[in-house]
Order: sequence, then structure tokens, then C-alpha cells
Amino acid sequence: MRHLLTRILLVTFLACGSSAASFAAKDLVVGVPDNLTGLDPADLNDNLSQSAARLMFEGLYMLDEHMKLQPQLAESYEANEEATLFIFHLRKGVTFHDGTPFNAAAVKASFDRAGNPENHLKRQSLFVMIDHTDAVDDYTVKVTLKYPFGAFVNDIAHIGALIVSPKSVQEFGKEVTRHPSGTGPYAFVSWTADTLKMKKNEHYWKPGLPKLDTITYRSVPENGARIAMLQTGEAQFIYPVPPEMIKSLENSATITIFDEPSIYVRYVALNNLRKPFDDPRVRLALNYAVDKQAFIKVVLSGRADPMDSPMPPLLGFYQKQGSYPYDPVKAKALLAEAGYPNGFEITLTGGVSTLVQRGMQFIQQQLAAVGVTVKVEPLEAGVLTAKEFNVKTPEDASIVMLYGGWSSSTGDADWGMRPMLYTKAFPPVLANLAWYSNPTTDAAIEEGLNTTDPTKRAAAYGKAQAQVWHDVPWIFLAVEHNLAAYSKNLTGASMRPDQQFHLNEGADLK
Amino acid sequence: MSDAVLSAPLLRSPSAEFWRRFRRKRVAVVSACVLLLLILMAIAAPWLAPYGPATPDYDNVLAGPSLLHWCGTDTFGRDIFSRILWGGRISLTVGFVSVALGGLAGVTLGLAAGFFGGLVDSLIMRVMDVLLAFPGILLAIGVIALLGPGIANVIYAIATFSVPVFARLVRGSTLALKRTLYVQAARSIGVSAPLLMLRHILPGTLPSVIVYCSLRVGTSILTAAALSFIGLGAPPPSPEWGTMLAEGRSYLGVADQIMLFPGLAIFVTVLAFNLLGDGLRDALDQRLR
Amino acid sequence: MLEYLIRRLAGTIPVLLAVTILVFLFVHLLPGDPARLVAGPDASPQDIAAVRSEMGLDKPLPMQYLRYLGETARLNLGRSIKTHQTVAELIGERFMPTLLLTVFAMLWSVTAGVAIGVLSGVKRGRWIDQTAMVLAISGVSFPGFWLGLLLIDLFSVRLGWLPTGGYGSWQHFVLPAFTLGVAVAAVMARFTRSAFVEITAEDYVRTARAKGVPERSVVWKHTLRNALIPIITLTGLQFGFLLGGAIVVETVFAWPGLGRLLVDSVAYRDYPVIQAEILLFSFEFVLINLIVDLLYGLVNPEIRLR
Repeated sequence: MRHLLTRILLVTFLACGSSAASFAAKDLVVGVPDNLTGLDPADLNDNLSQSAARLMFEGLYMLDEHMKLQPQLAESYEANEEATLFIFHLRKGVTFHDGTPFNAAAVKASFDRAGNPENHLKRQSLFVMIDHTDAVDDYTVKVTLKYPFGAFVNDIAHIGALIVSPKSVQEFGKEVTRHPSGTGPYAFVSWTADTLKMKKNEHYWKPGLPKLDTITYRSVPENGARIAMLQTGEAQFIYPVPPEMIKSLENSATITIFDEPSIYVRYVALNNLRKPFDDPRVRLALNYAVDKQAFIKVVLSGRADPMDSPMPPLLGFYQKQGSYPYDPVKAKALLAEAGYPNGFEITLTGGVSTLVQRGMQFIQQQLAAVGVTVKVEPLEAGVLTAKEFNVKTPEDASIVMLYGGWSSSTGDADWGMRPMLYTKAFPPVLANLAWYSNPTTDAAIEEGLNTTDPTKRAAAYGKAQAQVWHDVPWIFLAVEHNLAAYSKNLTGASMRPDQQFHLNEGADLK
Repeated sequence: MSDAVLSAPLLRSPSAEFWRRFRRKRVAVVSACVLLLLILMAIAAPWLAPYGPATPDYDNVLAGPSLLHWCGTDTFGRDIFSRILWGGRISLTVGFVSVALGGLAGVTLGLAAGFFGGLVDSLIMRVMDVLLAFPGILLAIGVIALLGPGIANVIYAIATFSVPVFARLVRGSTLALKRTLYVQAARSIGVSAPLLMLRHILPGTLPSVIVYCSLRVGTSILTAAALSFIGLGAPPPSPEWGTMLAEGRSYLGVADQIMLFPGLAIFVTVLAFNLLGDGLRDALDQRLR
Repeated sequence: MLEYLIRRLAGTIPVLLAVTILVFLFVHLLPGDPARLVAGPDASPQDIAAVRSEMGLDKPLPMQYLRYLGETARLNLGRSIKTHQTVAELIGERFMPTLLLTVFAMLWSVTAGVAIGVLSGVKRGRWIDQTAMVLAISGVSFPGFWLGLLLIDLFSVRLGWLPTGGYGSWQHFVLPAFTLGVAVAAVMARFTRSAFVEITAEDYVRTARAKGVPERSVVWKHTLRNALIPIITLTGLQFGFLLGGAIVVETVFAWPGLGRLLVDSVAYRDYPVIQAEILLFSFEFVLINLIVDLLYGLVNPEIRLR
């Protein structure tokens, strides 16, 4: 009886132990903070799933680790001056993971599916300007737009426009999100609970690449657990590293810290259509009431830069505007002027992650000092998204104060302003959660979009930024840094400024 | 007979007997004193605490224990010692109120079930069985999933899973007491049912109920802290001990004081309640037999 | 014996049914339209209509319950609002980690607890007994999640000997299984000791000693065997505690099990998952208690006569 028990125990232990990776092969394990929501590039909203999709799918063009446009599945393109016609010349000799060939028909099928409003895919708004797509021949695609769109190539370099194998869509329909098939350097193996496994694509079109044999995404929400994974060698890249923990990793002999400014801007969106925020003096007062330097120090452990424009510095056409320094006396005076000498009560809504909750508590403390009583309302992702976007008319909006942020995942100024600050971007269309509307800003944004001439665009976005900065629709907080950590023997891995994990094709583990 | 009369003055009343036995258990007495102290500190928190529960100090964040801050400070420079005092009010309130609610309901149901027997008994105990089909914290989580998070709902949740245990306990005592001579006697002279239950049976069940209450308050405080820790109880910036522990999780190895002191507070409080309960049980034991 | 078995089973079935009724009523007790709750916050009107007809919400409540019972029996538990996987799939993925964790915690804690209890009982009054009992009552009062954090701080963050969390090799099991089992070990130790002390004072043990039976034999054959009966019962009850404790421990150690799934689902308001999990946990609990009762009946013939 005793021997049997011992044997059972032994076998169970061995079974568990054998699931640990064998380190002879080049296996990269990435420690990520969340579970993936899907692997259909046209239907993803979150950075994490998008970064995984980018390892398995490719687009006609892509953004490299510096958010610069590079050709990928297309070799070149031509556009007319009005930015209404784009012709792409595709790369030859590329196949999907399921063996079907990559060609113009596949591109057309991909674009049509993603842009079809009946499919209700989350990234449909990226294709809304397309009138029709034609496969001129096997390797030439012509896209005709309904109206001028200067940022179109950046637009299709977005993850939402990655090319999906038409055969996989035929075979799996809606379930294609769990059976991804693209042209990327890594092919899908499995996706269970918190683990995504990918393996080397043996038929990848770039010779000699990729170098890694497998990539595994392990979802570990616990910050401490993720860091320990890196320290024990279980993972070779982890993100995000909470700012307060960077210090404990700095002195490690085996770990490198990644600390770079991102294009993620952190702000508090104020509902400009609702009292008391319809009064610009109140909005201004709140900007003077929050000590941005203390915010960076306390909430982000110093790993951020103050926000001095609605757009972050790394985004093209950024122009520094100025600052609203910490001045609680002025804040109180402004509030009194606006008719709130004793402050008011308000609810601040946001997500549930540790950093967000910390940030919200900080805002609560700062505003308390000028008489504004803030009630913090943390909501889980699904509930928050519903509250933000399930709105039929602006009057229905239930959020008055939102702790949020944004990063332009196309790397272009347009996507860094239009979704949040354009009148036609009121939810549920896009993310203008401050319900901000100013005709001058609208005109400037439209100007920037209607041309591909950099000088004209710079002028337009300069105007837009200045107007928004003056109108104070938000409490401008900070531009966060990207914080990650990885093993010293890993090369080619980094974080893009839009906070997505990025792996070069040549990434390697020595 | 004459012996009993001669030795009568040496017999103490049951309560005096109980106190004598209780006083002899030093550990229990010490726990009782500690608990009294904790309760007093919690009540006096507004005057005792050197800082408010939410007073930030951005120049002194994540500081270790010092003369200024006995237990150090947290992310926002809030004094941890003060927050523990303020949090004590929450923990003790939740503990006492939930046990009071659950106990009241449970004792009533148990008395009714044991006394009336038959269909009433079957019905009540079946329902209690169903409640007992859920492991404690699961039932609490279920109630929270229904009502939403927050400390008020935590109280209801914990009260709910205390009810069946009290009911079972009291039912057992009631059944035993029903058969005693004095109850039979009272019945035979026509004492009404409610009076019987209240004056003759209930006092008999009280000793074990009181012991159980003490142990239960400890469990309740623990469960409330656990619920807050996993995010279903008191949300930040509440100084609830479980919530503070959750915040301290991010700083393991960097600022351990945030995790250490609130946890210690929970431990000491629950330990004191458990030791007290143990002592009460031992002191009452002879009487129960 | 068979009669006893049937009687106990018959007694359990109403409880299980009642549990299914409660779980079924769950979405109906919440404020709002049940179809909307189940479909999720960002479901389109078509999705909600589909869910509504699937759940048969236009039919009378008892019909809906029967439909629910049928679907559940067929393991069609709906779809997770968050990940869109079938709930059955989600639970299937998480089942093994929780089972393994609970089993290992149970094994070590019962063994250690009983051993310490016996030792304390035998060496009653001596320092071993005193220390053990102090540890035991501390173990019961210790917040599990605090213990977990302390252990992570010491063994993972500072010493680097063990991982801070996650699931994989045997090293991942050490801290979570230990943390989960501490309270159970403490309870078992206290209980075993008092059972031991009680029985040792019994007449038949004193007689055995007086007869000159060797001490070891007295301990093993006479005392322990009889103490085993209540110990087995207690073990079964403790399993329920372990199930509950697993919920918190899994959260602390980022364990990919059913407990953490439940917490995440409650936070996310993923009602299909919440319902299925509550059902699963309570069924497990009831069944374990049933098995323990049956074992008890096997070992103690007196009970069967009732």
C-alpha cells in the first residue's frame, strides 16, 4: 500500500516536472500581464493580443520598433496626389501557414472581410474610408478610397489590417480567432488558459529567419510573479515592469532594463458637455490643482515625463505647448469664480489595474485639497468598455470623469488626435470620451488628413494642438515610459513606443 | 441530604463557577484583555491616530518604520500605523455585526427547529443543509456576486454562511434540553411555547453559542480581509486590513512594511479571538457535560 | 450496509437539486435582463436575442429550470463573456491545477497534522506538546494570504529559491501547497490531540496499560485506531475548507486554477462562468461529504443502525 502511494506520487510529480521547457532548443518565453482576448487581427482592441498577432501575421506595410513605416508583404506603392487611390505591388513567393499562397486575392478578401460592417469586427473603422479593393493581377492590389486619406499607408500598417488566410476564414468562420493562419515568422501551435504557444515557420519568406524555435506567451497578472519568472530564467522577456520595481532589477548581472519614453499619454478626460466641466474655468482649475511632478514621482516612480501637448513628443508633428504648473491657490480661485467656492462632488471612473487605481487615488487626494470630493469607481475591462461606448446620444453618457490614456497605434499624428478630439469621434464611433467639440480643432484635424504634404500637415496639427491645449478638455498628466526587462542573452526584443511587445525577425537567444 | 445542606455555602452559582475557571486560564484572560484594548483603540482611532487614514505625504513615500511613522508609510506617504487603527474599526465592525446578524438568525431558526420538531425541523434543517453545501468563502463570494462588492455586502455575505452553523448548534442543544426534567416540568404546568423557548431553553444553549461567537468573529474578520484582498470587499483607498495587504503585494522586497503590519494586525486580532474562544470553551466545558 | 448507502444517497439528492435551483436562479435574482447579463456588456442586439431564445426566457420559470438542468447535465454550460470559450472548456483547462494543488495540500497537511497531534497527545504537557499547540492555534489564526505573501517575500524575492507563482514544475507546488495546508494541519493537530487524550483516558486503554501491553501497542492499536474514526470525518470536512482556501491561495500565487477563475469572473461579471463554478464547487463539497459519511458508516457500524 505504501509503495503504491509512493509510486503514484512520483509519477504525478514527474508528470508535472516534464512540462517544464527543455532548454536545448531556442525557446523564448514572454511574461505578459493579461490573458489574450483573441488572435484575429481584425478583431483586436488590446495591445497584448495585437503584439501576439503581429508574430503570426503580416501586413502590406508595417511599423518597426521605432514606429517607422517599412514595406512588408508589399514591396512598394504608388498614390495619387489627392490621396484617394493607392496601388500596392505585392511580394512574390509567400505562403500562409496553412499552405495557401499569398496573393492579391488574399489581400482583397482580408480587407473586404475586415471592412464589412456586418461582420462587426472591432477594427472595422480602419477600413471605413475604402470604397473598393481590386486585385488587378496576382500581385497588384488597387485600393480606391471614398475620400482623401493621407495617412492610408500608416493606416494599413496597423495590426487591424494584417492579412488573414482566406482559407482559414472559410474553414473556421467566427472561430478563426482561435485558429490563426498568417504569413508571419511564427506559426500558431496552441492557446490554452494563460498560455499561447507558437513555433518557427519553416517556410518563412525571409531566408535564414526566424532564429527562435518557439515563442510562448505566459499570462501572469501578478507583477511579482512575472519578475520572479525572469529572475529564475523561466521567462526571457517580461512586461510591463511596474515602475516601483525597476529599482530592484537595476543591479542584476543577468537582466537588462528597458526604459524608454512611449507614445502613451495619460490624462483624465472630463465630460465637456456635463456640469461642472462645461465651464472651462473648472477644467483649468483642475489642471492647476494636480501636481504633475508629484504624480510622476508617486504614481509612476519617476518613470514618465510631464505632458506638455495633447500629443506625445515621439509622434510626428508634435509641438510643445507649455505647462499648467501646480497652483492650488489659483485652482481654488478659478473654482470660486466659476461658482464653486466650496468645490463639488464627482465620480472618477477607471480600470482596475494597480497603476490605474494608484493614479485615481492620487487624483482623489490632490482634488480633495481644493475642495473637490472625488469618489473612485474602478471597473473591470468589459464593464468599463460598455460604460464608455454603449452610448446612443451624448446626453446618455454616464461617465463624467475618466482616468484614461491613449496611444496612436498607427504612429501617425492623425490617430493621435482624431479619435479623442474630433467632434465626429463621439462614442460609439471613436474614443472622444471628453465629448470635446471645437470647430477650429475639427477643421485643423481634417486639414491634416486631407493631404500627404508634410509641411501642410505640420501646420495643421500645430493649430490643432494649440487649440486643444487652450481649451483644456482634459487634466493633462504625463507621457509614460515603456518599462520592460529581459535576459541579457536575448537580442532583438523591445517595446514599441505604443507599448507593444516587438520582436525583430532576427531575434535570438544566445 | 444533610451533607448537601451542610456543604451548601461552598457551592457557587454557575456563573461564579465559570468565572473562577476562566480566570485560571491565563492565556484566555490575556486574550480578553488584548481584545478589549484593540476594541478601545479602534473606537478611539480618530483621537489616537497620529495621522488621518488618507493623509498623503509625497516627500515621504514608501518609508520604513521610524519615529515619525511607527509602521512606515505607503505609496502615497500615508502613515501605516494610523491606517491600521482606522482599519481596525472596519474589521471589528464587520466581525461583530456579521456574527450578530448570522447568530440572531441562526439561533432563532435552531431553536424553532429543535423545539417544534417534525415538519418545521425538517424544513429548516434542509435549508441549512443547502447553505452548508457551499464552502464558507464560496457562499460569501456568491452573495457578493449577487449584491456587488463593498463592505456592507461583505457583512451580509459573511452573516449568511454563519447562519447554518449556529442553527445546527442551537438545534442540538435544544433537542438535549427539551428532554431535561425542568423543561418537562414547565411544559406540564402549561408554560407557553415562546416563554419556554426564551426563558428555559435559550439560556441553556447560550454557553456554546457564546463560545462559538468568539471563534466566529475571528473567522469573520479573516474572511472579510480575504474578500478585500481579492478585490471583492472594501476597495482602495479604504484602510481595511485586507485591502492594505493587496496594495502591499506590489512592493514585496521593496517596501515590506505595507504588507507586514496589516497582516500582523489581522493575525493578532484573530488569534486573540480564537484563544478567547478556546478559553471560554474550556471554562464552560464541565458545565456542559 | 447497502440500505445505509441508499439512504444517504437519497438524502443528498434533494440538497444537490436545491443547489442547482439556487444557481439557476442566480441570473434571475440580479437586477437587469438575464439575457443581457449572460450575453455580456458589448453584445449586439442580435446576440442578446439569440441568448434569450437559447435560454428560453419567454417560457415559464419551471420550464427554464428544466431546460437549464438538461443543458447542465449535458455539460453545455454556456459561453464565457470574457474569452468567448465554452465554459466547459475553460473549466476543463483549470480543473487539473486545482485538483493537484488540493490533493497535495491535503496529503501533507493531514499527515503532518495527525502526526503532530499524536506526538502531542503522547507527550502531553511536555514542551513538544506546548510548542505544537501554540503553532497549531497560530496556524488557524494566520491569514492564508498573508502567509503566502510572507513566504513569497522570503523564498522567492529575497532568497530566490522558489518561483513566486505560476504553474509548471514541482518547485511551483511547494509554496502554494504549503500555504493552503497550514490551517488544515493546525486543525487536524488540535483535534487529533484532544481525541487522543480523551481516548487514552478511557477505561479500556487504562486496562490495556494495566495488563502490561507495550506502550507502542497501546498507542497504535488501541488509541489511534479508535481516534481514526472522528479523524476521517474531520478530514472530509476539511476538504471543503481546502476548496475555499484554494480560491485565495490561487490568487496569491497566480495559480491557473478554478479558484482564480472564479475571482476573475466575479470581478468581470462573467455570469455563465460564475454559475458553473459555484455549481462545481458545491457539488464537489457535497460529494466529498457523502463519501466521508459512507466511509464513516463502513468503519463504525453503529451509525448504520440509525
